[in-house]
Amino acid sequence: MRSLALAVPALALVALALYPTIATGYGLRAVLQVFTWIALAGSWNLISGLTGYVSFGHVAFFGAGAYTGGILMASAGWSWPVAALLGGVAAGVLALGMGWTCLRLKGPYFAIAMLGLNEVLRALVSYFEGLTGGGNGLSMPTLDATVPIYYAMGVTALAVTLGARLIIGSRFGLRLMTIREDEVAAEAMGIPTFRHKLLAFLLSAIGPGIAGALTARDQGYIEPLSVFPLATTITMIVMALFGGKGTVWGPVIGAIVLFVAQEMVWARYPYIHPLLFGAIIVAVVLAMPRGILGLLQMKYRLPRTI
Amino acid sequence: MNVVITPAMIGQVVISGLLSGVLYSMVALGLALIFGVMRIINVAHGPLLMLGAYTTFFLYSAFGLNPYLTVPISMAVLFVVGLVLERTLVFRVIEAPELSSLLLTFGISIALVNAAQLAFTSDLRAVEYLTGSWVIGPFAFSKSRVIAFVFAGALTGGAFLFLKSTRLGKAIRATSQSRDVAMVCGIDVGAIHRLTFGLASALAAAGGALIAMIVAIQPEMGQIWTFKSFLVIVLGGAGNYPGALLGGMLLGLVEQLASLFLTTQLSEVVAYVLLVIVLLVRPTGLLGGRQT
Repeated sequence: MRSLALAVPALALVALALYPTIATGYGLRAVLQVFTWIALAGSWNLISGLTGYVSFGHVAFFGAGAYTGGILMASAGWSWPVAALLGGVAAGVLALGMGWTCLRLKGPYFAIAMLGLNEVLRALVSYFEGLTGGGNGLSMPTLDATVPIYYAMGVTALAVTLGARLIIGSRFGLRLMTIREDEVAAEAMGIPTFRHKLLAFLLSAIGPGIAGALTARDQGYIEPLSVFPLATTITMIVMALFGGKGTVWGPVIGAIVLFVAQEMVWARYPYIHPLLFGAIIVAVVLAMPRGILGLLQMKYRLPRTI
Repeated sequence: MNVVITPAMIGQVVISGLLSGVLYSMVALGLALIFGVMRIINVAHGPLLMLGAYTTFFLYSAFGLNPYLTVPISMAVLFVVGLVLERTLVFRVIEAPELSSLLLTFGISIALVNAAQLAFTSDLRAVEYLTGSWVIGPFAFSKSRVIAFVFAGALTGGAFLFLKSTRLGKAIRATSQSRDVAMVCGIDVGAIHRLTFGLASALAAAGGALIAMIVAIQPEMGQIWTFKSFLVIVLGGAGNYPGALLGGMLLGLVEQLASLFLTTQLSEVVAYVLLVIVLLVRPTGLLGGRQT
């Protein structure tokens, strides 16, 4: 059983690494997007799945990374791998600032403060036209780097997932989950809750920052509306929720299943896509709030670090 | 940006701020009611307002009704919509953690917006009824805004009176103070939840009907109102109903002042910074609310 649990992901990794040699343009792009969603949903899971603090504007970090990376590539002419890493750094700095102020808020107040952060970043990016191109957007120099970006995004998704595995298996992760269950009790047991939340928040921002910068490079063009949509936040939340929040593989499963479902719907019914997406959200929330892995964990004796 | 700011301009800005502030108060009162009674933040509040605006538009354009007469009809229609939404979906997440209710109402929200796009198309529509302004001294009073102010003031006042002195209003306030004790006192808490959701939707609809005469109508007009209503209730103190009144006025003023001294684009940013400061200094809002 244990060797099987190792063999399946290892085989999947090898297959994904070899995939670009046989892939069609569409296939490569689809897998690239799945990687992006894994990175986003997995990162959201680090703060919200583990500590219970609902980040309702997590796309803000994606957008911040996209614009940091985008500006460095377009205006300063930096190479994309460096720009992508700095996108992650910028998102981390933003998370420290935001977390230091807003992680004191509880429950829905934190969720709304994060929702607002996203709106504000979008307004600021539109306002400072000289730096960001404003509503006209920002174009990157042309470069065909789909395959390298495929690998970079894959590594990002892998790093987020492995990071989640390490955190969930560690004392740090246990403390985060204690905060989720009862923050006052956690404090009383001597856990410095604020510092733990801040660190989790920081870690949860880096992945989206890198993914944002990579997406900016991949698409070659970004604008405020394309990198700060609330729908992206909701999509990553629903993916994590569907797979099982607070688990290692939940966001991965959720990202794959929902992306495939969405692609099939998107291609067939573009006009009612939001309607169907709304229905999926309602269904996931009402029918399976614990997600696939959560249900399996309840039914069978599975390890916590699944 | 070398505009000289005269006292008359500031006066004008204060007038505009207060005129739109009461609209904010009324719409936000709906959100505050739902939050107070059900502990839910209804992300679909703005799209409900949008439906109210479309109801008014169609009654006006198809039946030639006086748009001000359509306000009570819009409210009645959305009261029923709210009732149905609560009875079918929202009541299931009342006890759940906040993530469930946020997501559920967001799902309802995008479904409503999409349905409106399909049914009404994304074309901009307008109810051109009362245009122009009354000019008194150095100040201009936009006619439609003044009448909206009067309507919103009256409706908000009526809502307060209802909450304060009727049996049902008292039952709503009792439920918002403690669901369990209210239940022990013989209040049908489920019915109060439905009623509250219907009432809140009706207040949003009144906002939509009045706004329909001021700005263009389109399916995505609502979302910004959800966010503004959040701002208002947090500023005033979530679950504190008079606080919504104060918060609405404050938001109206701040927005207008920000657009005078900075630019219109940044008024949202200023409002948000205000929100974060209030949350940090007085997390329970200016008039004090309740912690969840």
